[in-house]
This record gives sequence, C-alpha cells and structure tokens, in this order.
Amino acid sequence: MPFTALNSRMVEARIAPGQRMFSQRGAMLAYRGEVSFTPNIQGGQGGIGSMIGRRIAGEATPLMTVEGSGTVMFGHGGHHVHVVDLTGETLYVEADRLLAFDGSLDQGTMFMGSQGGVMGMVRGQVTGQGLFTTTLKGHGSAAVMAHGGVIELPITPQRPVHVDPQAYVAHRGEVRNKLSAALGWRDMVGRGSGEAFQLELSGQGTVYVQASEEKL
Amino acid sequence: MTGPVIHDVATLPADDNVNPYAFSVDLNGQWFLQKGKMIAYYGSIDFHGIGHGRLDRLIAGSFHSPLHAADWVVAEGQGKMLLADRAFDVNSYDLEDGNLTIRSGNLLAFQPSLALKQSIIPGFLTLIGTGKFVAASNGPVVFVEPPIRVDPQALVGWADCPSPCHHYDHQYLRGFLGGLRAHTGIGGASGEEHQFEFVGAGTVLLQSTEVLMPELATGAVPDEAGVPGGGGHPAQSGSQLPQLPGGLGDLQRRFGL
Amino acid sequence: MACARVHKRWSIVTAARTITAGGATKGRSGADRDQLGSRPVRAPGPPTTVWSVAQFRLQGSKVLAVDMTGDAVKAKNGAMVAYDGQMSFKKMTGGGEGLRGMVTRRLTGEQMAVMEVKGHGTCYFADRASEINLVRLQGEKLYVEASNLLCTDAALRTGTTFTGMRGASQGNGLFTTTVEGTGQAAITSDGPAVVLRVTKQYPLQVDPGAYIAHTGGLKQHFQSGVNFRTLIGEGSGEAFQIRFEGEGLVYVQPSERNTVGGEV
Repeated sequence: MPFTALNSRMVEARIAPGQRMFSQRGAMLAYRGEVSFTPNIQGGQGGIGSMIGRRIAGEATPLMTVEGSGTVMFGHGGHHVHVVDLTGETLYVEADRLLAFDGSLDQGTMFMGSQGGVMGMVRGQVTGQGLFTTTLKGHGSAAVMAHGGVIELPITPQRPVHVDPQAYVAHRGEVRNKLSAALGWRDMVGRGSGEAFQLELSGQGTVYVQASEEKL
Repeated sequence: MTGPVIHDVATLPADDNVNPYAFSVDLNGQWFLQKGKMIAYYGSIDFHGIGHGRLDRLIAGSFHSPLHAADWVVAEGQGKMLLADRAFDVNSYDLEDGNLTIRSGNLLAFQPSLALKQSIIPGFLTLIGTGKFVAASNGPVVFVEPPIRVDPQALVGWADCPSPCHHYDHQYLRGFLGGLRAHTGIGGASGEEHQFEFVGAGTVLLQSTEVLMPELATGAVPDEAGVPGGGGHPAQSGSQLPQLPGGLGDLQRRFGL
Repeated sequence: MACARVHKRWSIVTAARTITAGGATKGRSGADRDQLGSRPVRAPGPPTTVWSVAQFRLQGSKVLAVDMTGDAVKAKNGAMVAYDGQMSFKKMTGGGEGLRGMVTRRLTGEQMAVMEVKGHGTCYFADRASEINLVRLQGEKLYVEASNLLCTDAALRTGTTFTGMRGASQGNGLFTTTVEGTGQAAITSDGPAVVLRVTKQYPLQVDPGAYIAHTGGLKQHFQSGVNFRTLIGEGSGEAFQIRFEGEGLVYVQPSERNTVGGEV
C-alpha cells in the first residue's frame, strides 16, 4: 500500500516512475527525489466533461497529479488523516475530504440525490457539500481527512447506523443512505443542525465518522 | 478502578512531559517563558516582564531579540510549572553546544543557559548553546534529513544544516499559469510552486499544517543596507487572509517580496 | 528517561517517545498517541451496581460510546455523532431541574442545552474533536464549566452553583455547573486533561482559561500579582490566576483557549 502513516496527521507516499497519484492542491508538505506536481484542469480523471460536471456539482476541489520518483509527505491543516485501503469496492467520500489517492483508483462523481431520493437532496444541503459525492473504486488506497480523527462503524443488515450528517466522513460497501428525522417535528423547527436530521446507513459496509460536528 | 492519573507536586515529572500536550518544568531558578503558556503551577513562582530592571543581566546574556521582548517573561522561583499551548504537541529538546532554528510561534520556553537570537530567515529564532527548550507543533514533529524540499508552512525548524534556500517549480508555475488560473481564476500559492530546499548534513523538523500558529512578532530586522528583508513589514499575526490569485501569500509577507 | 542523541549536537526528549535521527521513516515519532483507531479501547470500568446503567467507554480519546439497554443519559445538545439500535432524543430545556433550575439558569446565563437520549444500542458522542475524560462520581460533587460537560448518567443530578468571580474572566458567566450523585460523567477538554491534586501544603495556581473542572473541598480565589499581569499581557482579559486551597482535584486542559467546547 502506498501510504505510510507518519503520525495521525501526516502520511508518506512512495511514488515510482509509471505510477501516478492525485492529491488535493496544497496538501504536499515535503518531498524528496524528482517529483512533479501538475495541477489538472480536469480535476483528476475523467476529462473536461467530468470537470464541468464536477464544477456544477460544487465539487471543484482542485486536484493535482503527482508523478515521478521519490517520496512525498501529505497533510493538510493539521487535520487527522485516515488511510482507507480498497480491494475492489467503492468508497464514497466528499471531495474536499480527499487528501490524496492512488491513480489506480477509478474516480467518479455520484449524484447522491439518485440514491436517497428527496432526502438525499436534503442531505446535500445539510452537509453543505452539494448533491454530488466523489466515488473511488478499484484496488488502491485513499487518504481521507477528518477533524479530530475517525472511528469506523460497521454496518450490517441487522444493525443500521445513524450518523450526524456533520460528523459523516465517508462510507464504503453496499450501503443505502437516507435522511431521517429522529426528533419530533416541533423540535426540528428552529434548529439548524444537531440531531434534527440523521443520516441512516443500512446494508453491508463501513461508515467513517469523525469526532466532531465540524465540517472541514 | 481505571481512573485518570492524578498528579501532585511530587509526582509531576521534572523537566519532562506529563502527556504529549503538557510539559512540567521543575523550576529552581529561572526559565524564559512565552506569555500565556503557563497553565498551572505549584510553589512560589514570580513572573517578571522582560526589560523590567532587575533581571537585566540575565536578559543581556540570553535574550537577543528585542522585538520579542514583549511576548516573553522570566519565571523565577521554586516549584513545578505546567506549560501547554493550545493543545498542540509539546516536546522538549536538549542542546549540547549546538544550535537549532525554530519558528518563533512554536517556541514556548527555554533555559537561560541558551541564547535566543533572531534567525536570518524572518519569523524564525535560533537557540545557541547548551540547555533545554520546549516547543509546540501541530501534531507530532516529523524528523527528516536533507536533501529535501519542504512546504514553508510545514516547516517547524532545522538543526545543524545550513539555512534553506528557495526552490521554485518551473513546471508547476508554467502549468499553473497557463492552465488553471487562466481558465478558472482559481489561484493562490499552495506550496506546490515553491519550497524551502534543505541540503547538507542536519535534521529538518516538519509538522502537518497549512494553518500556521500565530507568529508573535516575526522579528523585523533593522532597516539597514546588507540585511536581507530589512525594512520589511512587521507581519500581522495569523496569516489566514485570503490570498490574491497568483499572489505569493505568506511568502510575500514573510520575505517582503 | 531514555534520551536519544540526535545528530551530533542536539537531542529531543519526550515522555512518550524517543526519537532517533534518521530518514523520514526512521525519524518519525514512534507511538502516535492520538490516532483514534490505534488506541486500545479503554475498559468500561467495573460495574458498580447491579441495576442496568448506561456503560460509558471511550472509543479512541475523542469519541464517547455509551452502551444502553433501555436506560437514559443526559448529553450536550448536538453532541451525538452516530448511533446504532433504537434511540430517542428529547430536548430538555433548562437541564431538567424544574422551574427553579430554569429560572436560575436563565438568570445566570449558564446555558446548558441538554438532551436526554434513551434507548437500546450504542450511542456515540463527540464535541469538536475535544478530548474526553471520564469521571466516576461516588457521591461527591463535580464542579465543571457547562461547556465542558458532555454527558452524564441520567441518575446524576445537575445544578448550578455560584462560584465567585472566576467566570467573569472566562466569559462563562458567574456560575458553574455541578454534577452530583453516583455514576459516570464525561467532560471534554482541549487536549487531554491533567488532573492535579491540591493538598493543604500545596495549593495550586491555575490559568483561568485552562481550568475545566474540580472536585473535593476546595476554596478558590483570584490572585493577581503585579508580576503576573505582565505574564498574561494587557488586553487579553486574563490578568488573573485562580488559586485553589484545601483538599481536592483540579482538572486542567493543556490549552489556554476557552473557545473550544465553548460557545456553540
């Protein structure tokens, strides 16, 4: 796996000729060797069409391509970094939480509204992340940022997990999400956040939750 | 009973960490201390402002950064004193007839046996001599050896090796200028265009941050011929101002470009 | 204390690790304490009673997991980050102290927006990446800044006490929240709290911004030395330190900030 955790907030990646990685701009802390950083107007993979889609989606976090031969250290803003290793499945993550990921992973954008229906759209409003979520699929690793570190909660068909949308970081696996309201309607009125809305994740997989209700 | 560890004046460590975020000084004499970094103390300890008369001799010997004087005090007396800084990681460093340069906002305290001087790199302080000092970092410090290129904002300090030089990535600049900025207007410096390059033998100290700790008085140097950065603007603390597209941001400020 | 010499002329010493110079991989700090996932989950303490009580355990150092079997806890509003099982949430204006508590609270400005969480399953609480400290109370009284109180057993009584002038300098009001009874409480701090014992021989001075809680029979008063004023600096509004005398424990956070866990 290309990412080595140096500490809870920094990861190191080894890059060899012929490989490439993508990282958020500004995430490089230091490097040794001959490594080049190219900002892509495409914003990662997928060409210009995908970029336009992403800009409309509000997922315009600029990415850059990292190529060459050497080691690169990544980190951002002192946020905690969590490495997720994928073996064929799909990771759903908000774009601005992605610190860096393997070029071997297929990057895509998913319209969350299509999965959660109307509630999925509300979800976008709640997290303020737009209605689109970045997907990474295949074999490789991704480094994801979170405020205050991440706990992993397993989701099984018998045990759905409810998450505060503000604390939601990412999820993987065959998971359905929908927004539910746990408080009575009367309690929800006049309250912008908190427990009024909950993201309900059901199916089979893992959800990553950060130790904070603060968005990045 | 798995309760928390309870410390008292006897069990607090002497000149060592209580936990990664708090450091206990066994004071028996004097220490230099950045204001507001003491969170609690036992014993009888007095705090004197720098430049207040009776400690003049001590200060003349150890404190050579007049611009920082307002941010520092001398703690004097007997007792145990806890130091901490915004829940950042805190480490102590022992110098033995050595030198280490550190970002000014990261330095918390030092023994008077060390001499504090302003580095020629603005915003950094150099400690010279033999003794102990305490510094904070955003997350644990990562130690690397040159040759390495470092995002200026991730740099905590360096020891023994020569001062860094600037490295500009031509490829990135060209791609950057020709590509993204022209099309989208999204711009600003992000560390990929420019790094500090370290060469030679020594150790470089890194932290994960793009959000700098406030630089308390980055140490403007005298406005005189031959002094790099002379007449530079004393920096405002905190550097989270929005950057203009294409601007060099922090660099501009820190190096008076 | 192991002390590794780094390079030839300086070395770094810390309590938690010993660092040797070397390449990036060799030179990294060894044990990384605040990685949430890598921490062993702390044992939930010995069960104190036979009846079913919510079990508090820490998941890492910044997430509190509470296992519930039909019982309830009181928690800071908005602090729930996730749960599984069946939970219901009830807003408790005024902290459930009845009319008098509500009136007192409104007067004092010590707002503690509390919710009651009840159900079967595990509920996870966190507050802005603050460290969480578990306090087990056996009849004694815990004084804690309202903003630092994350969660308590429903069986614990919470109230408000006049604490003199300390709050004035911290912007937290003149009153402090008290928690009383037998059970567990979770308090937050910016960085892990250091617990300091105060005895008759050894009083303790604390920066008001670093104070979070105390227990025991302690008298507190302000101390404002002329010299200390120069330490804190003019204009920061903190030209005081709190002096604790008596017998008890004081919880101090490794930070002078009072914003984290402060105003919501």
